Amino acid sequence: MNRLTAAFSSEARKVLRSKILWISILAFLMIPLVGGFFMFILKDPALARSSGLIGAKAQLAGTADWPSYFQFLSQAVAVGGLVLFGFVSSWIFGREYSDRTIKDLLALPIPRILIVLAKFITVFLWCLVLSLLVLVLGLWVGKIVVLPGWSGLLAVQGCKTFLLCAILTMVLCTPVAFFACWGRGYLTPLGFVVLSLIFAQIVAATGYGQFFPWAVPALLSRVAGSAIALPGNIGYFLVVLTGIAGLIGTSLWWRYADHL
Amino acid sequence: MNEVIHTVELSKHYGRVQAVEEISLSVRKGEIYGFLGLNGAGKTTTIRMLLGMIRPSSGASYLLGERIDGGNYGIWNQVGYLVEIPYSYPELTVKENLSIICKLRGIGDKKVVDQVIDQLQLEPYADIKAGHLSLGNAQRLGLAKALLHKPAVLILDEPVNGLDPAGIVEIRELLQNLAHQHGVTIFISSHILGEMAKLATRIGIIHQGRLLQEVDADQLEVLLRKRLLLNARDKTAALNALAGAGYSVRNNEEGFMEIIDDQAIQRPEEIACFMVQHNCPPTLLQVEEEDLESYFLRTIEETGGNVQ
Repeated sequence: MNRLTAAFSSEARKVLRSKILWISILAFLMIPLVGGFFMFILKDPALARSSGLIGAKAQLAGTADWPSYFQFLSQAVAVGGLVLFGFVSSWIFGREYSDRTIKDLLALPIPRILIVLAKFITVFLWCLVLSLLVLVLGLWVGKIVVLPGWSGLLAVQGCKTFLLCAILTMVLCTPVAFFACWGRGYLTPLGFVVLSLIFAQIVAATGYGQFFPWAVPALLSRVAGSAIALPGNIGYFLVVLTGIAGLIGTSLWWRYADHL
Repeated sequence: MNEVIHTVELSKHYGRVQAVEEISLSVRKGEIYGFLGLNGAGKTTTIRMLLGMIRPSSGASYLLGERIDGGNYGIWNQVGYLVEIPYSYPELTVKENLSIICKLRGIGDKKVVDQVIDQLQLEPYADIKAGHLSLGNAQRLGLAKALLHKPAVLILDEPVNGLDPAGIVEIRELLQNLAHQHGVTIFISSHILGEMAKLATRIGIIHQGRLLQEVDADQLEVLLRKRLLLNARDKTAALNALAGAGYSVRNNEEGFMEIIDDQAIQRPEEIACFMVQHNCPPTLLQVEEEDLESYFLRTIEETGGNVQ
């Protein structure tokens, strides 16, 4: 068996047997359900007015139509994904330190970088599955709620933006993995996730969001409104650069750091 | 090639703290090398350097002639290891944990998992999640992971921790069999000195990061101090008679008379006759040998170390 395949299949087995996988699916599936519920409330202005705080929150999703609904899904994956995908990455890398199993992976007849790559592939696939589940359930919920404004072109554009937001957010998981290794557990990477989320809000508010990689997926999802420009090539380039830096940093850590 | 494990002035420091200082040792094929030291002496740091998990500050270590380095991964095909308390993935069963190591080691033959489960007597626990194992069985699982690929070299850090007395004997016999029948070289660290005395063919004593002494088990017999313990109904008369005959005899802390003269230790029957002739026949006559624990502590103290 190819070494990378062997490493990946080991990682996959660990994930499939963990409770975290099912918890993450349940957590992420809340996105289309909440979005659909907001759309349902917004469809009836009288209901929205009488729903108090929920009605007010629902107003934030815009209007009850397919363009607003797609935008809501993209925004949720761009912002919620930063937290949940970050958590997935923290768990895949940080658990080896928390469970003290890291030492079993360091003196094996397989390059350490392949184990790191297998872990990143697992993170990517896990997050991709979560995103696709949200998209599929989202489309189904939108159909159930009978939202107006559907068109083939809109659906293609909506799905494209959603998936691009999801992929950009996944790419930003690699530095989280580095912090999980450097901090030898979950707390440091989760702290990093929270900080990056806070700074993304602040930097985006100053108008320089495209230069801060963690703000780029949210800008693409139009979370700041259509008046704010899309992140552009510089934004995407910085996200990819950050992703590569995280990948290289994590690999170098596994290869050269002292594993105490 | 006779030298299987070899270190050359291996050192590791963390800032100003010197964890391991210029350790040079070598372990020959088929040897069981007991690495003794107090907690914090540098045993685990040395073992982690031998396994490429920690980069030495200076010096080098070699396994089967190849320099150990994080990138030299081919060498681990021939090495099995266990470092400190063995942890496994708690949500996976014993069998699944072993299958993962099997895959990562590129072992195609799935029978090896069942074989090692049988070898370590883990059959009743094969389908139990590792998180539910007792410390002793978790230790067995750790050893199973180390033995899975039938390595030529075993590096074990405290392998009998948590095992019950029967388990300790079983693992001792297993390791002795591997070394003596299959030529497996074993580097084993422990603070259970009695166990080391029974198992190791060579012993290295490490203290405060320095290797104080290396000794073959068969030479140990010569180095261990012996004493002749005596007792009599009239101890004062016996003490005076023996001292008068030129023996260096003293009352020890345990309330017995003690002679450390080689001649008396080698021929205790002469002492018995002498005491009978002087009307103070012995009620106790026993040659006692220092155990490894006492020898270890004495070695540390003699080299200026602090045993606390």
